[in-house]
Amino acid sequence: MRIRRVRLAWVAWIASSALLLSCSNNPYPGADDTVKVRYGALPSAPKTLDPAVTYSSLEHKITANVYETLLEYHYLKRPYTLMPGLAQAVPEARPLGDGRVAYRFDVRPGMLFQDDPCFELGEVGRRTREILASDFAFQLMRIGDPEIPSQVVQTFSKLDGFSQFRERLKQLRESEEGFAELRIDLQYRRAGPIEGIRVDGDTGLELVLSEVYPQLLYWFAMPFTAPVPWEAVVYYDGKEGRDFFRDHPVSSGPFKIAEYDRFFRIVMVRNENWYGVRHPEWKAPGTVYPSSGEPGDAAAGLLDPDYVGRSLPLLDRIEYRIEKESIPYFNKFLQGYYDAAGIIRESFDKVVQQGRLSSEMKARGMRLEKSVDPAISYLGFNMNDAVVGTPGGDKARKLRQAMSLAVDAEEYKRIFINGRGILAQTPIPPGLFGYDPDYRNPYRTPDLDAARKLLEEAGYTGGIDPETGEPLHLTFDIGDASTRTRVTYGFFIDAWAELGLDVELAATNYNQFREKVKKGSYQIFTWGWIADYPDPENFLFLLWGPMAQATSLGPNTANFDHPRFNELFLEMKDRPNDVRRIALIREMREILERERPWIELLHSESYALYHGWLKNLKPAGLSLPQAKYMDIDAGLRAAQRVEWNDPIVWPAWAVTGIGIAIVIPGILTFLRERQ
Amino acid sequence: MDAHHWQNLVVAVLVSGAVVAWLRARRSDLWRDAGRQVVKRRPLACSVVAFYSVLALADAVSWKSDDPDCAGLSQHKPRSVIDRAFRCDFQERSYSAPLADREFYGGNELTFPGLHPMGTDIRGRDVLHLALKGARIALLIGGFTSLIVIPLALFFGISAGYFGGRVDDAVFFVISVLSSIPGLLLLIALIMVLGHGALQVCIAMGITSWVGFSRVVRGETFKLRELEYVQAARALGVSEFKIIWRHIVPNLMHLVVITFVLLFSGLVLSEAILAWLGIGIDGSWGQMIDMARDELSRDPIIWWNLAAASIALFGLILAVNFVGDAVRDVLDPKTLREDA
Repeated sequence: MRIRRVRLAWVAWIASSALLLSCSNNPYPGADDTVKVRYGALPSAPKTLDPAVTYSSLEHKITANVYETLLEYHYLKRPYTLMPGLAQAVPEARPLGDGRVAYRFDVRPGMLFQDDPCFELGEVGRRTREILASDFAFQLMRIGDPEIPSQVVQTFSKLDGFSQFRERLKQLRESEEGFAELRIDLQYRRAGPIEGIRVDGDTGLELVLSEVYPQLLYWFAMPFTAPVPWEAVVYYDGKEGRDFFRDHPVSSGPFKIAEYDRFFRIVMVRNENWYGVRHPEWKAPGTVYPSSGEPGDAAAGLLDPDYVGRSLPLLDRIEYRIEKESIPYFNKFLQGYYDAAGIIRESFDKVVQQGRLSSEMKARGMRLEKSVDPAISYLGFNMNDAVVGTPGGDKARKLRQAMSLAVDAEEYKRIFINGRGILAQTPIPPGLFGYDPDYRNPYRTPDLDAARKLLEEAGYTGGIDPETGEPLHLTFDIGDASTRTRVTYGFFIDAWAELGLDVELAATNYNQFREKVKKGSYQIFTWGWIADYPDPENFLFLLWGPMAQATSLGPNTANFDHPRFNELFLEMKDRPNDVRRIALIREMREILERERPWIELLHSESYALYHGWLKNLKPAGLSLPQAKYMDIDAGLRAAQRVEWNDPIVWPAWAVTGIGIAIVIPGILTFLRERQ
Repeated sequence: MDAHHWQNLVVAVLVSGAVVAWLRARRSDLWRDAGRQVVKRRPLACSVVAFYSVLALADAVSWKSDDPDCAGLSQHKPRSVIDRAFRCDFQERSYSAPLADREFYGGNELTFPGLHPMGTDIRGRDVLHLALKGARIALLIGGFTSLIVIPLALFFGISAGYFGGRVDDAVFFVISVLSSIPGLLLLIALIMVLGHGALQVCIAMGITSWVGFSRVVRGETFKLRELEYVQAARALGVSEFKIIWRHIVPNLMHLVVITFVLLFSGLVLSEAILAWLGIGIDGSWGQMIDMARDELSRDPIIWWNLAAASIALFGLILAVNFVGDAVRDVLDPKTLREDA
């Protein structure tokens, strides 16, 4: 009996060892090896997929591929160029004479939403329906709905009657019994119409704006304005086992959601109803691979003749897994289980050497693409503050200029962000109209001697406040109390300390920081901005007086309110990109250079590291529907995964051997002795 | 008076208090023998604790002076004894390995090549300097928090144990409520409310750490109040306050000393955990260890920051624990009997 037990133990030992040794670390099914699947990862699940609400780049990674828009950006051209999407053409502004302006979109006829049970609400047995101009109008009304927390309400309030519609809807819901229980499209119909949104038949959509606003068109290349069928919003109400609409998009784009597990993975598959798939003969600009781009695209393999003119999408499936930690994500990328990755700070020196991909990574067939983001990070002064702001007059201006001269952004970039980014001289990043690569801001080249001289002129000789006889004490507020952030921003404290200024770092959590900003109780702060659309207006408005945080809770956190700057901004914002606009931007730049409400730091740079089997990836700072242009060489990926993940079995055999050599004889001796 | 003058004054008061306490303790046979026994049992640990205490005091005493190496703000800031052991401008631009002559990344030549025995951190600060300065924060956390914990625990524990009845019910209710809230969450919530400074962190840790000791004090007081000499004092009409002060508190002092020593190391470690969660104190070893979270995953690895902070923390905690064990062995009547 005992001997049988021992034999059984032997068999179990060997079987479990064999089982362990035959395991693979491949997290995907073997059948995927022959399918064009793009594997990616998200640090967390999107909070919502409702296109009226989504705002983060993470959410747009999904919505940009699922929702098609009237217009879209050219995939390769820089500066970013608009081209038609669901619309037949990019509309021209039509002045209406009284300062108002109209845009008319002609929606392509015969396009369908994805198949979805929600459409049975309109007609029994119906699985899909045509995308109509009224679906765009419905979505614009959703943006105006006070119960939908859309962040772009302000933008669309330029539409005639938009704000009044919002107010009417709110009043009706509050005052009329049973109104809020009506179907949502009926509520909108009762509270509408919005005078500035005119639906002309199935395909005509005219928008009337109360003022000239050429940037409006950019918003029609973003998921906010994508068509949404009313049936989807009504049907997906979270009741009787149905999803909420925020978790269940009904696609009009090249991909549709096949699986949405917030904690594990999000899978998108080709949408067979997408107009590019149903009507390849149209050769619509957004449905074929582009034939032109910017200089350097051909050399980067982005204009491969095999792809130019091919119908999109090229992928069968996109699978995003939730990877909360960046290091496992990067390691899985190195194993070939993700197709692309950003470069984590910790591995930067291994991956990038002297600004180029390391030989180790090159040998694995990896590629590196860099692109400057349409973004800026900066240190700002609260211009309402008595010491550093406008009330301090010339003295405060010189103090700001001196502090600007003390900050070495190049050194900051080198030490803290692996040298990624280009030094900002003005708020406008490269790639946008008005960016001047030759301009050098005299206050952004570190010069401690000049800074000390300015401080002296300001009355703070050696950083000493004459009122107290002590070093001038200032507070620098940041909205992140983590150790890393405190140490990082200590860099600026050190820089100002060299001038003799005693700047205290007040690190709080983001909510407390927001509260301080709201109350105006701050002197120096740091912030950043990423473009909503590629226009200088989207950066310079951050310093426009009427957008001041103190007066309108706007994004002008510096509370900069300079009459001439405001005047120039008003003239610049609605102008076409002409010589006059350049002249206006230059004058605004001069004001900012002199007044120094900001210390411009960097325009960040995105590094996309990807495997050789992923084709046609071009990094973009804006949320573009990139996935439809990408392709995968599934065979090469499968082969390289096998090569890179060859299991190292000797430690397991060694452990097994040691087990056999030590444990089993021990047991046998024990049993023998007992017998 | 400037802040550093107040700080120096506090140090002077603390040192004077310690000297007075030591002189008074010498007069008592119990405390004098206990002190000797502890030093005899753990001489090395006692020396290490004394060394850390000297470091902390050396960093707590600071004054302004005209130092030729100092420029900018540093020439107007008071420098402690520890600071003065290093040059005022003893800083590089970024990471450098121990005793290296070039920066770790980028390879730029260092301003003080080969002179940083523990390397430099991301901002080029000398790691040995930072590690030595961490001793003050550690002792401040352990010492100051204990000064909050012990009076609180004694007050509530003695009140509950001596008066019993409704007072006991009320105190025990407070103890039960506090015990039922996860300590770390309560601590984080308090720090969020009070703020991030050293004082606030100590107060928050004090509020969350007194409960356990209070229970012990309550139990001990229950026992003490039934003893004959306490009953006799009560029969003679001695006031309750006097009885507590003359007969209860002195008999709890051995517990206070043991608890102080054992609590101390726990509090220093707690700050390291708080720093890991991003709510620690600037300049602490916990913060240095927290920074290492990123540094350890770098390639090539940055190890010296973590090593310096860990060794310093380990050295103090181990020594304090050894001393704590010795104190308990010497002062706890149970262990005394066992030894006998």
